Amino acid sequence: MKKKRIWRALAPWLFLLALWELASWIFAGVPSFVGILKLAARDFADPSFLIALAGSLKRMAMGYLAVCLVGIGSGLLLGRFRWLDDLLGTLVSALNAMPGAAWVPLAVLLFGLNEGAVIFTILLGATGIVVVNTSFGVRDVPPLILRAARTMGASGTKIFWHVIVPAAIPRIIDGLRLAWAFGWRALMAGELLIGSIRGMGQLISEAAKQRRVEELLAYMVIIAGIGMVVDGLVFNRLIGSQVRARWGSA
Amino acid sequence: MQVVLEKVSKSFPGNGGSIAVLEELNFTIEKGEFVCLVGPSGCGKSTLIHLIAGLERPTSGRLLIDGSPVTGPGRDRVVVFQEPALFPWLTVRRNVEFGLKMLGIGEAQRRQKSAQYLKMVHLSRFADAYPHQLSGGMKQRVAIARALAMDPKILLMDEPFGALDAQTRRLLHEELLEIWQTTHKTIFFVTHNVREATVLGDKVLEMSARPGRIKGGFQIHLPRPRRESDPHLIVIQQRILLGLKEEIAKVVKDEDLDYLVERME
Repeated sequence: MKKKRIWRALAPWLFLLALWELASWIFAGVPSFVGILKLAARDFADPSFLIALAGSLKRMAMGYLAVCLVGIGSGLLLGRFRWLDDLLGTLVSALNAMPGAAWVPLAVLLFGLNEGAVIFTILLGATGIVVVNTSFGVRDVPPLILRAARTMGASGTKIFWHVIVPAAIPRIIDGLRLAWAFGWRALMAGELLIGSIRGMGQLISEAAKQRRVEELLAYMVIIAGIGMVVDGLVFNRLIGSQVRARWGSA
Repeated sequence: MQVVLEKVSKSFPGNGGSIAVLEELNFTIEKGEFVCLVGPSGCGKSTLIHLIAGLERPTSGRLLIDGSPVTGPGRDRVVVFQEPALFPWLTVRRNVEFGLKMLGIGEAQRRQKSAQYLKMVHLSRFADAYPHQLSGGMKQRVAIARALAMDPKILLMDEPFGALDAQTRRLLHEELLEIWQTTHKTIFFVTHNVREATVLGDKVLEMSARPGRIKGGFQIHLPRPRRESDPHLIVIQQRILLGLKEEIAKVVKDEDLDYLVERME
C-alpha cells in the first residue's frame, strides 16, 4: 500500500523527466536533464558556488530566526490581549497581503544594496503569517481545557504558559512552515533584484544574462531541492511526526 | 466536605433581558455523600456544577462550602467534565500530575501520586501514552485519576459517562463506586440518565426544566452494588421519570417528548 503511494508520487516526475530527456535528444536547443543534474552535482565541488550558497543560507538563517522571534512573540501577545489585536490586527493583515518581493525596493532605499536589505525583506515577507497563526492558535484553545485547568488551581500566567501556549503549538508550527516557504521566496527575490550580493539569486541572474541555460536550470533545481528538503524533512518528518505523535493530528 | 445551597439563583444576560437558568436552589450535600442530580437537557445542570466549582458566581443566594462562601475555583473541588478535557500534548501520567505541578509539588511526589491514582483507575500500563491513543472510556478514567490526584474533598462530575456506550458506562460505575468507597470522597454527580443516578447515588435530586429548580429528592438506602433492574430501583426510576416527563412536556413539542424520555431511561 505504502509502496503504491510512493510510486504514485514518483510517476509524474519520471514521466516529465523522460519527456524532457527525449526532447533534448530531438531538439538541439534543449539541454539534457541528466546533464543538468550532473552540473548541479558538480556545483557542490565548486568553491565559488559553495560561497554563494553559504551566503544565501546564512541570510536565510538570520532572517528566519528574526521571523520566528518577532512572529511568535507578537503572535502570543496579540492572541493574549484582545485590545492589542484590535489595535494591530488589520496592520498584520495588510502585512500578510503584501508579497515579499514587493518589499525589496523599499528595503534597498532603507539599507542600501546589502545583506541588511535582504534580511529585512525576509522579515517583512514571512513574519505576518507566523503572527496570524500564533494568535489564532492562542485564541482557539478549547474553553473546556481552560476550565479544567482552572479547577485544578492554575490561573493567569500559569494557564498561559502551561495550557494556552502548548495547546497552540500545532498552529504555531503551521505558521513557521509557511513562513519558511515565504522567507525562501523573499530571499531569492531580494538577491535577484539587488544582484550585487554573492548568493543563489545572483548566480541565477548572472547565468540568465549570459545565456548559460544549463547552469541556470541546475541552480534552479538546487533552490527547489533545498526548499523541498527543509519542508519535507524538517517540517514534515522531524517536527510533524512529533506533533502527530503528541497532539494526534498535524 | 459539606456543600450548602441557600436560595441559589443564576441568570445570564440574554437578548433584551436576563435568562433565569437556576432558580432558588436549596439543598445540602453532606460530607462523604454520593449525591446524584437528574434533570432534562438544558435545565442548568452544568451551570450548577460551575457554581459549586467556583467557575461562575451565583446571581443571588448563598453557596457555602464547609460554612464559608465560594469565592473561586479551588483544589478542594475538582470537576470531571462530560468531555475528558485532557491536555493532548501531555502523556497520561503528566495529565494526572498537571494539577500537582501547578501547586508546585516536586517531581518525586508527583510521580508517586500519579502512579497511585493510575493504578486505581487501572491504567498503569498506559502512563506513557498520549490521550489520542486511548478510547473514550479510558480518557474519562484518566480525567478521574487527574481529579483524584488533587486530593479534592468533593468530586464534581458533570455527566462524565454521557458520551460512553452502555457497557463501558457500567464498568465505570463499578470503578467509581469502588473509588468512592476506598477514598470516602464526597461526590456530586450530575446526569440526565435516571437509571445511572439510581444505581449510584445515596440521594437522587430531581431538577425541573429551565429555570432549573429542585423538584424533589429520593433517598436510596439499597446496598451496593445495585442492579439497574432491581424492582425497588425501578419503582424509584418510574417516579422520577414521571416527574421529568411533566417537566419536559412543558418545554418541548409532543413529538420530541417520547424521544427525549427514551434517552433518559
